[in-house]
Amino acid sequence: MSDSDQKGNGDIVPEARLRDVGANRASDKERPRDEDRRTVLRVGVTTAMAAGAVALGLGLRAREGHGKSKTLPKVKDHRVAKVAGAVEMAIVRGPDAAANVRRAVEAVGGMGRFVKRGERVVIKPNIGWNRLPEQAANTNPEVVAEVVRLVAAAGAGKIWVTDVSVNTAEQCFARSGIEKAARAAGAIVVRPEATAFREVDVAGKLLRTGDVLYPFVDADRVINVPVVKQHSLSGATMALKNWYGVLGGQRVKLHQNIHLSIVDLAAMMKPTLTIMDATRILLANGPTGGSLADVKQMDTIAVGTDEVALDAFGAGLLGLSPGDLGFIIEGMKAGLGTSDWRSLKTEELGG
Amino acid sequence: MRYLLFAVLALVPLALVGTLVWQGNKAPPAEHAAARPAGGDADAVLRGLFDFKLAAAKIKEKISLYDDKGLFDYIDGAAPIFIERHFRKLAATELSTPEGSDLVCDVYDMATPDNAQSIFDKEKSAQAKPVEDWPGAIAGPMSFVFHQARYYVKLTAFDAKAEAALPLVARALKEKMK
Repeated sequence: MSDSDQKGNGDIVPEARLRDVGANRASDKERPRDEDRRTVLRVGVTTAMAAGAVALGLGLRAREGHGKSKTLPKVKDHRVAKVAGAVEMAIVRGPDAAANVRRAVEAVGGMGRFVKRGERVVIKPNIGWNRLPEQAANTNPEVVAEVVRLVAAAGAGKIWVTDVSVNTAEQCFARSGIEKAARAAGAIVVRPEATAFREVDVAGKLLRTGDVLYPFVDADRVINVPVVKQHSLSGATMALKNWYGVLGGQRVKLHQNIHLSIVDLAAMMKPTLTIMDATRILLANGPTGGSLADVKQMDTIAVGTDEVALDAFGAGLLGLSPGDLGFIIEGMKAGLGTSDWRSLKTEELGG
Repeated sequence: MRYLLFAVLALVPLALVGTLVWQGNKAPPAEHAAARPAGGDADAVLRGLFDFKLAAAKIKEKISLYDDKGLFDYIDGAAPIFIERHFRKLAATELSTPEGSDLVCDVYDMATPDNAQSIFDKEKSAQAKPVEDWPGAIAGPMSFVFHQARYYVKLTAFDAKAEAALPLVARALKEKMK
């Protein structure tokens, strides 16, 4: 097949050649077909250019945060400097949850390594659900209370305990036992009232901005205290996923691409310390739970600064491997930590 | 003309994919959907399920309704497994026993009885015990779960007294669903 044959099958050819082809075989009747073809081409090109302009406009609008030109505050980096040779992750097993917290925090250098005198500290348990401690949908209140006591003993100037509950906050804070336990230990318990949020620059891949509960914006130090649970959509909810609880607004938008949303929020928060509660874990029907048939007593606390490593350890408790969980994979890609928790300097203590 | 032909040909696979997606999410078969009231009537039917008199438990608070978007604000990441099984609406409320013990009652209105059975099977805990003379029900400590007609119901207790009331509330709801 010659070059001219191929062109003749429909590709664009120079106008002069079209005229030549027309001179060789065309009668006046065929001229309008050339005109039609040019018209189709003109319309096609114009449409493509218009579509491109619209796409460019939408893209620029999205980059600039839907047209908002104001500069939003960012959440601080709450981490402390690493100490050479220090234990990076501690796992403690035993029947006394509060004692497990004390021993694990001591193993990674003590609370004084993470909280200095006068600092404002926010403690973030999971208080998402209208459930009892025995139902294992929320963080164990004894664990939260012990964290408050350790932070107070380190000399913190202000201690907040808060979460953005999924169910009605009043019910969740009361029924979880966390409100009472945290107050008794000396914390200020902040319920997520509508006026308690501030818009911040999330600067994530998916989430550009978000309304964050004010203690997370104001605090000098942030301590993540998640519970280990199965989760129907993400596979599990532990340290990284716990940051869903800093945001206000409708939750449906966070579930469009759950793994990337989790990583966006974890990258924004950068906590000082994570104290993971596996006293009781929810093996099925998470995140809500309800039946004690789905709960397993594990009597375990894991503490560290690498949330990806802690989640990888927690995955094992749920019978999963880190590779089963998209947010662990995405978290590693984003440089938030390692799923190979055994590669860290780890201390495991029995009861 | 040739461009038009190419454009039509290019649209064929898109149309095929679109049809397949639509088939997967379309409304239930007419024989199920026809008997079902719509809009405000459906909400009234759902609320009406709680219109029972029991000595064991009374409604403590208003009944909250959640559609497929609001469902995330009540059960978070568990919502998609309901939505993909043609969830229509959730009615949730808290009940209280005469002794002051609380229990939560969640009634999920699914499109068809098959959808209700599907979510029941999906969430059924291996550790939960079957209920005598009620094949579509299981009881775990602190919980009672069943499906009846197009409804999937989860009852959750917060202490032993509320737990004792769960089967009574479940049977009262079941009667209203017939």
